[in-house]
Amino acid sequence: MATAEKEKELIAGLRDAVINYKIADAKKLAEEAIKEGADAYKMTMEGLAGGMETVSEKFDNHEYFVPETLLCAKALYGALDVLKPHIKSDSGSKGQVVLGVMLGDVHDLGKNLIKAIFESAGWTVHDLGRDVPLKSFVEEQLRTDSDIVMLSAMMTTSMVGMKKLIPMIKEKNPNVKIMIGGAPISEKTVDDYGADTTADNAPNALREAMNMLESLRKGMVSA
Amino acid sequence: MAMSMLERVATAATMGTPDVVPCAPLVCGAAHRFSGQTYEEWSRCEDPEAMVAGGLAAIEYADMCGIVLLVDLTVEAGAFGCETIFPVMDTAHPNYDDPFIKGPGDYAKVKKINPRETGRMKGVLDQIAGYSKAIGETHAIVGFVYGSLGTLSMMRGPEAFFMDLVEHPDEVMGALEIMDDVLAEYAVAQKEAGAHAVCYDNLYASESILSKPLWRKFEGKGMLKVCDAIADSGALVVHHNCGNGIYFDELEKYGHPHAVSHAYVADDVDSWEEHKKKWGSKICTIGWMPPGPVAMLGNEEEIEEEVKAEMEIFKPGGGFIQSTGCEFPPNAPLKHAKMIVDAAKKYGVY
Repeated sequence: MATAEKEKELIAGLRDAVINYKIADAKKLAEEAIKEGADAYKMTMEGLAGGMETVSEKFDNHEYFVPETLLCAKALYGALDVLKPHIKSDSGSKGQVVLGVMLGDVHDLGKNLIKAIFESAGWTVHDLGRDVPLKSFVEEQLRTDSDIVMLSAMMTTSMVGMKKLIPMIKEKNPNVKIMIGGAPISEKTVDDYGADTTADNAPNALREAMNMLESLRKGMVSA
Repeated sequence: MAMSMLERVATAATMGTPDVVPCAPLVCGAAHRFSGQTYEEWSRCEDPEAMVAGGLAAIEYADMCGIVLLVDLTVEAGAFGCETIFPVMDTAHPNYDDPFIKGPGDYAKVKKINPRETGRMKGVLDQIAGYSKAIGETHAIVGFVYGSLGTLSMMRGPEAFFMDLVEHPDEVMGALEIMDDVLAEYAVAQKEAGAHAVCYDNLYASESILSKPLWRKFEGKGMLKVCDAIADSGALVVHHNCGNGIYFDELEKYGHPHAVSHAYVADDVDSWEEHKKKWGSKICTIGWMPPGPVAMLGNEEEIEEEVKAEMEIFKPGGGFIQSTGCEFPPNAPLKHAKMIVDAAKKYGVY
């Protein structure tokens, strides 16, 4: 069992490794945390997620751009791979999302950034990858009972698939929230296609998802 | 006497005031529907004659002031050896499951090629020659070069590539230098084939992707080389960037643009009005109708409203070409391209 002081030191180290994309250090500190008997969930949430929160702020403020954010995510995943098997299953997830790039589209950079930001914030992400058949989104949402489905498209040719897909998802589960994103997407697309919201970058997507999750849970309580 | 389409474009692109704001929605892939080819056949560039016939029919149908020779962003990468997937009804893309550059050591695989003879680069040159013969005296023919940074990212896969910029800069730089020489020659060949202007796509020179110093380090010198070659050949230098927060100051320094085709404002302003004030008096704007929400999904009234709003800001003083901010969606109704041109005729008279 690690002392409180040691845990504090490890958390600070993990945060620093993520923020400054020290990929080898992140993994090494995660291994040390396990060896010392530190709480893996605490290391993940306060160290890695805490670090990624700062990364999101830096991205918002244009201190960090895509390469830096990807490298931070690489450091995060290096440590997360070590910590994850030691996280107790009852530690809880903030929410669940199904995520993927529309059929006919192979642009998955934005989707991967979103995955990293969401996982680091404690969400369970069911990543279907890119060029995903429409029915796979429907099936995965039903299988996982996810709160939110997130659809990404970088081209108008793949974007149009959303118009067909969104009613398919809503028909099976009217309560599920749908976020769409990518270069050709606008508020108008959200309205026209019957989605719930959009976001122009990963940190904003997380904020939108938190809002949607809150409204879903309020709805459940009032029902 | 009314100006020709070409005169209007040349006047606006050099910051003059033509008789009417020229208009050319970037109808590129959408022109396949006039060529008698599937999108896949069109993208493969195996029949430049049919492509030119399709492009000419599109120009005539919508009464556009010219044509841009964008096929898709894999033309250059494909010529350098990257495997390209050609979906039947979607835009071609690299095979990201088996990229040409699989690791940092593979950047050394990038070798010099002859753009005049290689792959679809030759197909583009043949098309330019065809357009030049048909409409070279009356309409604007704009060549297209995807910059080395964008091209190399397609050969590696963007995610790994962006990390390589930080982790393996020397390997990346070596490949970029080879590509920049080839792209400069490609641009000159486009001018020689009959292009009046050549457009350099510098997608990553924006806040959407790279920091300014990182972009400058990797693409500044190379872009200057290509744009110098375009200017020295006698063609107008045009840029395209559909990212958000474009680094206009860097484009000015390393790309001396006559005109920039863009969908969003520069990084140092907050509105189109500010953009016009700061940059619109020295660099012609080609834009900026949102392709998805308006050009594709908008109705006639919405399209007209958008053109009217853009004209109100950018028409005064000249230096404006009405267009879409990025390629006219290949799957959008072509009558929408005509609606854009019709609205520009209505609101664009000086």
